[in-house]
Amino acid sequence: MIRYAVLVAIVALAPLVLHYPELETQMLTFGLLAVAFNLLLGEMGFLSFGQATFNGAGAYVAARALIDAHAALPFALLAGLVAGGLCAALIGALAITGRGVYGVMLTFAFNEMAYYIAFQWRDVTGGDNGLRGIPAPSLFGLSLADATAYYYFTAVIVLLAFAAVLRIIDSPFGAVLRAIRENEDRARAIGFRVRRYKIAAFAISGALSGLAGALYAELFRFVPLQAIDLDTSTNVVIATLLGGIGSPYGPLLGAAIFTVLSNSLSHVWSHWPLVFGLIFCAVVLFFRSGLWGVVERLGRRAAHA
Amino acid sequence: MSGLVEVQLLNGIVQGMIYALVAAGLTLIFGMLDIPNFAHGAFYALGAYVAFSLVSATGNFWLAVAVVPLVVAGLGLIVDAFAMRRLARAGHVYQILFTLGLVLIAQEAIVLIWGADPTSVEVPAVLAGGVPLGAVSFPYYRLFLVAASALVIAAVWFGLERTKYGAIIRAGIDDPEMVDCIGIDVQRLFTIVFGIGVGLAGLAGALILPIRGGQPAMGSELMAISFAVVVIGGLGSYLGAVAGGIFVGLTQAVMTIVYPAASEVAIFAAMALVILVRPQGLFGTR
Repeated sequence: MIRYAVLVAIVALAPLVLHYPELETQMLTFGLLAVAFNLLLGEMGFLSFGQATFNGAGAYVAARALIDAHAALPFALLAGLVAGGLCAALIGALAITGRGVYGVMLTFAFNEMAYYIAFQWRDVTGGDNGLRGIPAPSLFGLSLADATAYYYFTAVIVLLAFAAVLRIIDSPFGAVLRAIRENEDRARAIGFRVRRYKIAAFAISGALSGLAGALYAELFRFVPLQAIDLDTSTNVVIATLLGGIGSPYGPLLGAAIFTVLSNSLSHVWSHWPLVFGLIFCAVVLFFRSGLWGVVERLGRRAAHA
Repeated sequence: MSGLVEVQLLNGIVQGMIYALVAAGLTLIFGMLDIPNFAHGAFYALGAYVAFSLVSATGNFWLAVAVVPLVVAGLGLIVDAFAMRRLARAGHVYQILFTLGLVLIAQEAIVLIWGADPTSVEVPAVLAGGVPLGAVSFPYYRLFLVAASALVIAAVWFGLERTKYGAIIRAGIDDPEMVDCIGIDVQRLFTIVFGIGVGLAGLAGALILPIRGGQPAMGSELMAISFAVVVIGGLGSYLGAVAGGIFVGLTQAVMTIVYPAASEVAIFAAMALVILVRPQGLFGTR
């Protein structure tokens, strides 16, 4: 509860300290994507390389709803959420037919398939030019075209979604996901319908990813092809690991830092991914609890002192 | 018939042999050693670029084809001995993540060393020209590529199935502790198999260089397709990987004639179909 209050305070005060509302909005949408991803990895133990598929599906559907149907923003976001969820339920159902690494490969391959579909289906996605012409965001007649206004709108939605994730993790449903992570056969033997739980987890994770994509589409009123490509899926994996998979706060932290670094370091040294890759390998080898693990350790030490 | 369709199909087989080489290596590492190597495509790309440097420096393509697999296999030995073994206890997820980091490093290192622009080399002079086929001709080099890949794939299969060392490796996979007990260092053998696996990817990269050239993203593009190949062929089946590779190469070629916009999507659609109808893959047993 204290942690969540601190998070709300940081999110509320951030624009006063750092005057880049677009960047901060990206930190939030990418953060939501990472949190959605970690619901599968951290809780259920499934490494998904498909988050960009769901993110892209949400972004394209929400954008089309805004452009073609002149849908109100909440409906467009809802459409993105549903699209992401359906897409994830379908791909999840196919991916979990293979156990372990096989399933990971399938999410990877299906993401590549989704990318090629988006690349070729120019009428709907704009192909590699991206999808333009999305109307400016407004809510009940109130314009959100101002970057700071849109930041706060996004912040409210992402914080609500994050609260929902915390609730899910604490629920009996979350406990079953952890049981599957620890020992799938045992969870099945006790009588849980493991397959259904897995598909449900995929649907929830995909829905949140779709929502993140929809929010992102309205940010720059533009959906780039990158929204659905494998690099985005990979970045989600990397940011989450960096932040730490042991707590839902880890992915948020990792995504925020990753967004800032990738925006600033690329101006300093264009080959920064090289250093980043080395750091990432070191994290995997030696610091598997990630940055949030360090934060928690420091917090515990402070509590003892 | 102008021979265009035949050339297109032959090209499909050429591409298919490259997929087969890469997927055969992936099957050794993935299917037999049970190490999820997501950097397999990066080793393929490195193979192409190291070959490019060797050809540029010496002008001798054959030297490059001979040396590249050894260089790439050497890198593989280091990766396996230093990291993959250490991570075996942490589980598959961390092995995948580590190789993901390697992909980042390799891709950016390629841009740093060789630049972001595509590179290419000439087809070796001995193999210039081609076989006439109707109105067009089919390059000798591509025929050589098919023959060389088939030979290497067969040699690895023979080594694995018909030699003493192959028998020891297979025994080590079935029961590592027992093989350890009779005084054989199984880990060292596995590391060598890992090296051979990525060496095959490196060889594929060197062989494709005179046809496609090298681009920094070539490894990641190949990775997704190789996953589709091993799923279609059957995870863990060496022959399945080879058949799957040729099947995917041909599918791509046929789709390029029939409906080019869907040539990539068709591969993954075929993969989805295999999962639904025959989850163990066309040649898989488990």
